[in-house]
Amino acid sequence: MGAGHMSEQLYGQLLDIAAGALLLTAVLILWRRELAAIITVFALQGIALAVLVGLIAVEEGSAELGLVAVGVLVLRAGVLPGLLRRALAGAGATRRETRPLVNVVSSLLAAAGLTLLAYAVSQPLVALDPAPAAHAVPVAMAVVLIGFFVLVTRRLALSQLVGFLLMDNGITAVGFLTTAGIGVVVELGISLDVLLVVLVLQILKTRIREAFGDTDIDDLRELHD
Amino acid sequence: MNLVLAALWTAVGVGGLSAVAGLLTPGRFRPAAVGVSVTVSGAAALVAGVAAMTGQSAAVVLPDLLPLSGVLFTVDALGGVFLAITGGVAVAVGIYGIGYCRQHGLDGRGVQAVLPLFVTAMVLVPVAGSVGTLLLCWELMALTSLLLVIAEHQGRPAVAQAGRWYAVMTHLGMVAILIGLLVFAANAVDGSFPALREAAGGLSPTVAGLIFVATGIGFGSKAGIVPLHAWLPRAHPEAPSNVSALMSAAMVNLGVYGIIRVGFDLLGGAADGAATWWWLLVLTLGAASAIYGILQAAIGTNLKRLLGYSTTENMGLVLVGVGAAGMFATSGDLPLAGLAMAAALLHLVNHAAFKTLLFQSAGSALAATGRRDLDDLGGLRAGMPGTTAAFGLGALAASALPPGAAFVSEWLLLQALIHGLPTAGTSAAIVMPLAVAAVALTAGLAVATFVKAFGIGFLARPRSPEAARAAESPASMLTGMGLAAAACVGLALLPTLVLPTIGAVAGATVGATDPLQIDGMTIRLVGVAGSLSPLMLTITLVIGLAATLAGVRAQATRRAARAARLWDCGAGPLSARMEYTATSFAEPLQRVFDDVLRAEQDVDVTHHEESSYLVQTIEYRRRVPDRIERRLYEPVLTAMAAWGRAGRRLAPGSVHRYLGYGFYALCGLLILLVVTR
Amino acid sequence: MTGLGVAGVVLQLLIVVALSPLLTGMMRQLRARMEGRAGAGVGQPWRDLRKLMRKRPIAPHGTTEVFRTAPLVLVATCLVVAAVAPFVTAASPLDPVADLFAVVALLTLGTVALALAGIDTGTAFGGMGASREATIIALVEPTLLVAIFALSVPVGSTNLGAIVTSTLHDPAQVFSPVSLLAAVALIVVIIAETGRLPVDNPSTHLELTMVHEAMILEYSGPDLAMVELASSMRLTVFLGLLANLFVPWGIATTGQPLLVAAAVLAFVAKVALLGALLAVGEVFLAKLRLFRVPELLAGSFVLGLLAVGASFFLA
Repeated sequence: MGAGHMSEQLYGQLLDIAAGALLLTAVLILWRRELAAIITVFALQGIALAVLVGLIAVEEGSAELGLVAVGVLVLRAGVLPGLLRRALAGAGATRRETRPLVNVVSSLLAAAGLTLLAYAVSQPLVALDPAPAAHAVPVAMAVVLIGFFVLVTRRLALSQLVGFLLMDNGITAVGFLTTAGIGVVVELGISLDVLLVVLVLQILKTRIREAFGDTDIDDLRELHD
Repeated sequence: MNLVLAALWTAVGVGGLSAVAGLLTPGRFRPAAVGVSVTVSGAAALVAGVAAMTGQSAAVVLPDLLPLSGVLFTVDALGGVFLAITGGVAVAVGIYGIGYCRQHGLDGRGVQAVLPLFVTAMVLVPVAGSVGTLLLCWELMALTSLLLVIAEHQGRPAVAQAGRWYAVMTHLGMVAILIGLLVFAANAVDGSFPALREAAGGLSPTVAGLIFVATGIGFGSKAGIVPLHAWLPRAHPEAPSNVSALMSAAMVNLGVYGIIRVGFDLLGGAADGAATWWWLLVLTLGAASAIYGILQAAIGTNLKRLLGYSTTENMGLVLVGVGAAGMFATSGDLPLAGLAMAAALLHLVNHAAFKTLLFQSAGSALAATGRRDLDDLGGLRAGMPGTTAAFGLGALAASALPPGAAFVSEWLLLQALIHGLPTAGTSAAIVMPLAVAAVALTAGLAVATFVKAFGIGFLARPRSPEAARAAESPASMLTGMGLAAAACVGLALLPTLVLPTIGAVAGATVGATDPLQIDGMTIRLVGVAGSLSPLMLTITLVIGLAATLAGVRAQATRRAARAARLWDCGAGPLSARMEYTATSFAEPLQRVFDDVLRAEQDVDVTHHEESSYLVQTIEYRRRVPDRIERRLYEPVLTAMAAWGRAGRRLAPGSVHRYLGYGFYALCGLLILLVVTR
Repeated sequence: MTGLGVAGVVLQLLIVVALSPLLTGMMRQLRARMEGRAGAGVGQPWRDLRKLMRKRPIAPHGTTEVFRTAPLVLVATCLVVAAVAPFVTAASPLDPVADLFAVVALLTLGTVALALAGIDTGTAFGGMGASREATIIALVEPTLLVAIFALSVPVGSTNLGAIVTSTLHDPAQVFSPVSLLAAVALIVVIIAETGRLPVDNPSTHLELTMVHEAMILEYSGPDLAMVELASSMRLTVFLGLLANLFVPWGIATTGQPLLVAAAVLAFVAKVALLGALLAVGEVFLAKLRLFRVPELLAGSFVLGLLAVGASFFLA
């Protein structure tokens, strides 16, 4: 328990705003169709996550966490969206998700359902720790589930990548909210993992496009017995 | 550091060094180096086992070797018996393997390095003192034996299939043992055997029964008991002969070891009332395996497959003894229980000796001729006198006739069964006569089988050019066979040397005093009336032979024998094609047991092109399938294949579908979590 | 090792070796007379043996030591059984060998040696005889051992001397259902083991109907003499066991010379009577097909099993 460097209530409210921003950006990604817009919203989510971590750093009074917050900002609001934009530039004509597997209205309803599920599942965690950080955990869990949903239902490879990164943002948020400090090393590990995935997917995407044309994943049906 | 511990460390150490030697020595010396060190390791294990049987014991704890549970080795008298058997077999097979591996091209690094590891794993299983250790050594033994079974897979495709069957069945057995032992350990403080013994008293009869049945399935499958025997007749013909000898004479015993250890030792304090049906089950399965095994052996023509089925039969007889011991123990008749257990243990020792000898000589014949089928062998006496004599000795021992080795153990088993009648209740009154009948039928069929195997395989005239060209095996193989033959002869003439120790171990296992008493040359049973002297019987027989010879020499004419043609009805010299083959020898038996065997016959007639009244060729094929496989395994395999095909429809190729499976699973789990909170 | 025991062994051996060909001769003469023939005389088997001994031995091409030693093993096993079985006295000096299982196994050893010799000749007849004999051995074993089981239950032991002594002390035992059932089962077993009608015809000349004779087709001279002597001795030994296990009166229990002489006479009389009954029965029976023999043996097995069951339930 760090020393309260701001009042309990203020801390709680700011935390809730940051968490809310996380959830809002996740839903926006579900709603928007243009890839450019999706990437921008993802960048905004990165900023929200950085703010969340920064708030916790201030509350805990930990310089290490402050550095981590800066790192998160750079990575998830800067580097990753940059890479995604570069991929988008080379993607060719398809700039919109024209036919998602689940239409927008159903996606939004599903997002609502997943948020409720996340709240139901996180009840024991919240009951365990009455601190304001714990109250934001269900929101982060909802982000994870929504990210998974995006991964499953989008056709374009780039959208699926964004969904994956959404999941990772949510996991990081849950990690920081539930523990006193997830530690630089673990955050480093997760980030490196994510970078690796992005790079590998970049390479693969290029090869797939060379072999099959544009990256509509649903057209790939070779992965069977 | 007492003798047991020192010898055990020597055995394990030399085994490890031998594996390293197998990897590092240059090609020419590799088989010799590995063979000699396996023999030394085996000798050390034999010494350790004998010392343990005579009462010394030892314990070794290595807490850091395995995470969480550590490794615990305890050597006691029961483990000592199996340790000694494995060591003895390794001594004979080690030397034999030198010549055999060279002849067969098995001197590659892989095989030569894995062979000592196999022997070491078999040495460690009987001395394991905790659940984790036992499972570790068991799995090591299974993996090394699998690697050895498929050693020749590049030359023959049938080997790969045999390896597959063996791998699947041995691991299914391992899973069953795992389940049983883990349920047991879950009810105890930790996994070590002393803790399990203490916890046995508090187990409910259902749980104890579950543990016994689960471990029984796993250990029974390893011992080759029907209906889980299917790997045995597949793996033994395809493995190299020295590996087959090790597997049949040392590895299958460990299945019986497991049953005795779990049933008598670990679960010994469990509720006795429920325990009778366990031992009845063991006895029934043992009797069924004995009859089925020897029946399949009697009509089989592949020599090593025949020997494999004979192993099933002998393990069945051992389990009849173990089951009878259990039944007597639970009904309170401890001296008889000790007698039955002594019979079972002695039969294990005898079986190890003669099965090693049989596999070694069969391997020698196969290596010299390249033919595996009895119908293609014969006439090997002229070219391979040593191998023929060895097989003959092994066959005499295996057919349970005096003065063979197995006669004594079968006599003990029959004495235990027939004296069990007055004491126990109605169930014993029905079971004992049927058990005696089963043992008797097995003995009769065993006689027929080994007359066939020895007579058709080695005597008379050769039935194929390869058999005619056969030459005797190299000296190392003959030495190995000689060692096993010496063991057979020793056990046949002087079982009085090993019986006191075996009797003491058997008595201790069931909780009684010594069931046997040795009186000079005679074996006397304690508590019941019965005595036998194998040595006196043999001496009398030899005196009778000498007297007959003397009488004939005195009375008969002094003229020398004249060579003459065989009676051929005046039609000309007999060809090899006119000899009786193994198939024809066994045909009356196959007809008598046709209901059980259900042979399949195919007759293909090819007519002449010009006229369908003229026959060009007739092809006759007869196959006797393994009926248990047909009825039990094929439906299971077909059902699994159908499941697999149905499962294919779950994977149509769409990436979204696969991702969706993960998503739905996750959501489903979370919902479940919420609902069942 | 009492004087009675040693005397008993010597006497038994002498009787069995000397008188068993006469038993065969008596049985053949009885059959001949009943069939309206003159017969060759009771002493013919001995004359045959003497003639065969003087002939030159023949070693067929391609046979091994197994062929040459099988007759020796056959005779030796019969001698051992004759020495230990309780014919003249129950107190054998070789008591640890006088176990019913051991005796039966020894006799089986002799048959196995002969079967191996049959295969060793490499002729189709030899193989056929060995194959049929092996089938019969396999099917006779269960009946044999179960009948021994039934015999041993009232006594509590399978020792031959113990069984005979127990029956001597308790005559009523013989008329119990256990004994009678076991006796019938054992009679069928003896017919199968000694190769008499209806299982095998000892005087057939058609090779395809032979079981025992087919295995010994290649033997001649002294070897054939040994085989013939051995089969007569086997018959004597089996009949003697049947007689003394069920009707042991007359056996010498003490060493008085008069009792011993009486025991010898009693034994000879009992075996002769049983042999005569067997011969008379054979006149009226035809040989069974080989594949009907299992039915006969299965029937005797059921009788043996009933004997054991009776010994428990009627005890």
